[in-house]
Amino acid sequence: MRVYLFGFASDDFLGRVIVTPDERTVEQLAGQLVAWGLAPERGGSITVRNEVGDILDPAATIAQAGLGNGDIFKVERR
Amino acid sequence: MVLRRDDWLDLARKVDWTPRYVEERELFPEEISGRPWLTHDAWRDWNEVYRTTYREYVANQREKDSAVLGVRAALSKPRLFDDLDPGWVQLVKFHNGAVALAEYAGAVAELRMARFGRDSAWRTMATLGALDEIRHTQIPLLIGHDLLAHDGNFDWTHKAFHTNEWVILAARHLFDDMFLAADAIDLAIQLNFVFETGFTNLQFMAMAAMADRAHHHLFEKMVASIQTDEARHAQIGHPVLRTLLENGSRERAQYLIHKMWWRCWRLFLALSGTAMEYLAPVSARTRSFKEFMTEWVTEQFMKNLAEFDLEKPWFWDLFTEELDYAHHSFQLGLYTYRTTLWFDVAMPDRAEREWLNAKYPRWEETYGALWDQLERRWEAGGEAGTLSYGLPALCNLCQLPALFIRPGRNTACTLEMGGRRYLFCSEPCRWIFEREKSRFADHKSVVDRIVAGEAPGKLTDLHTWMGLQAPVETGKDLRRGLDPWRLDPVPKR
Repeated sequence: MRVYLFGFASDDFLGRVIVTPDERTVEQLAGQLVAWGLAPERGGSITVRNEVGDILDPAATIAQAGLGNGDIFKVERR
Repeated sequence: MVLRRDDWLDLARKVDWTPRYVEERELFPEEISGRPWLTHDAWRDWNEVYRTTYREYVANQREKDSAVLGVRAALSKPRLFDDLDPGWVQLVKFHNGAVALAEYAGAVAELRMARFGRDSAWRTMATLGALDEIRHTQIPLLIGHDLLAHDGNFDWTHKAFHTNEWVILAARHLFDDMFLAADAIDLAIQLNFVFETGFTNLQFMAMAAMADRAHHHLFEKMVASIQTDEARHAQIGHPVLRTLLENGSRERAQYLIHKMWWRCWRLFLALSGTAMEYLAPVSARTRSFKEFMTEWVTEQFMKNLAEFDLEKPWFWDLFTEELDYAHHSFQLGLYTYRTTLWFDVAMPDRAEREWLNAKYPRWEETYGALWDQLERRWEAGGEAGTLSYGLPALCNLCQLPALFIRPGRNTACTLEMGGRRYLFCSEPCRWIFEREKSRFADHKSVVDRIVAGEAPGKLTDLHTWMGLQAPVETGKDLRRGLDPWRLDPVPKR
């Protein structure tokens, strides 16, 4: 199912809307957000969290991670 | 014998009568006169500090209009822009579009109080206030019209409020809440007490000081002249608030003040903060936006709270933290989404960056790398690389992009209600929404409308939906490309 989410990358200056199938993984979701930002080429490790701060398993699907329409996710880039 | 002013003024301004054919409650229905509904006895002592007669009002206004029009006449129209900084021209365009027709809406609000305010003196003040607001609409429209020959986008002075442009939708959302969809009491607190007493000094007096240094004397005269009116009719708020507090409505009054403080802050950081520090030339900047806010807005607000023994808002720490960052974050949003604006937006040049870092010691550390990155993108791939193409997350209360406070310090939050999840840029926006769910829940942000298929998702179609004729009207980089300073090597990080 296609869902829309609000993603915030730690090195970006605003939240961005991501529309994506919820069968994709959390890692792919983070990659999609970073691609919209100002420095997609910068590598480094990432951590993805939900609104309350729980770390999400990068291999889990978006649906398995409990993210649905209108949810926030945060990507920390190091 | 002709009576002297002071012999008749008190009688003339207090012509309340006892209705004989209808009940007082029917004459002043609670739904539009406001809550708490009190009999006129409670309002009998309503007093304005500075009293004005209609005769004095007309004489003063005529003089003020003559002063503004005199400057306009002295400057020959074709040369209006000759010596103005290009950034300043965009600031005027931004200001005119966001403010001119908001003033007209202000006239509607004043007229509501002129009919439904609970005391005659209040209604008289509001009648003069309505005339003020019509004047505040007409002067920028006149000046905007003069400027059309120089720049066609000055038609946004009139057009902006009739469009779906996103900044204007955010402004309209606030003004609808503050006064168009408010009863007489709420709007006296929100518009007169908070907005006009607290914030308009910033938009009008601070801008006047900057206009003087930017050598735009017509704009200076216009905004300074407008503020003298604002200062007079803003005094409506104090006696209304005093009556509420004396009649057991402290909590409601406190809520309205805190709510409107936050909402006004959001709009002013977006409008005044960015304009003052990214469009006004450095030579015109007398103080930083933070300094203006602290001295002219915050201190006045604190005095007002102390006068009525009211509490500081619970979100005060967040507000003071945002003073150092929020408008700088917003500027990045304006710059990268500039094709959705009716004015041009600046990337700060070297001198501006130095000025910003002097005023905000963490500016370079926080924002320098992001602007450098935009520089690199321009160098590598041209202007297209400096634009954002995805949708920004918009707050369901203030309608502004969720970009606060700064990179890495994200205050966004959500709320699940009625099967819909709402996004907010911050806790205070969510708090206001939760307090008045039925008022705000049905509204859809621009992004909500795009996601629901009610607004186009394709950028070129979205421009049309927003009323922007691309590429003629859409905002551009102020300097149209690489400045000489940008040709220096961009710092590598």
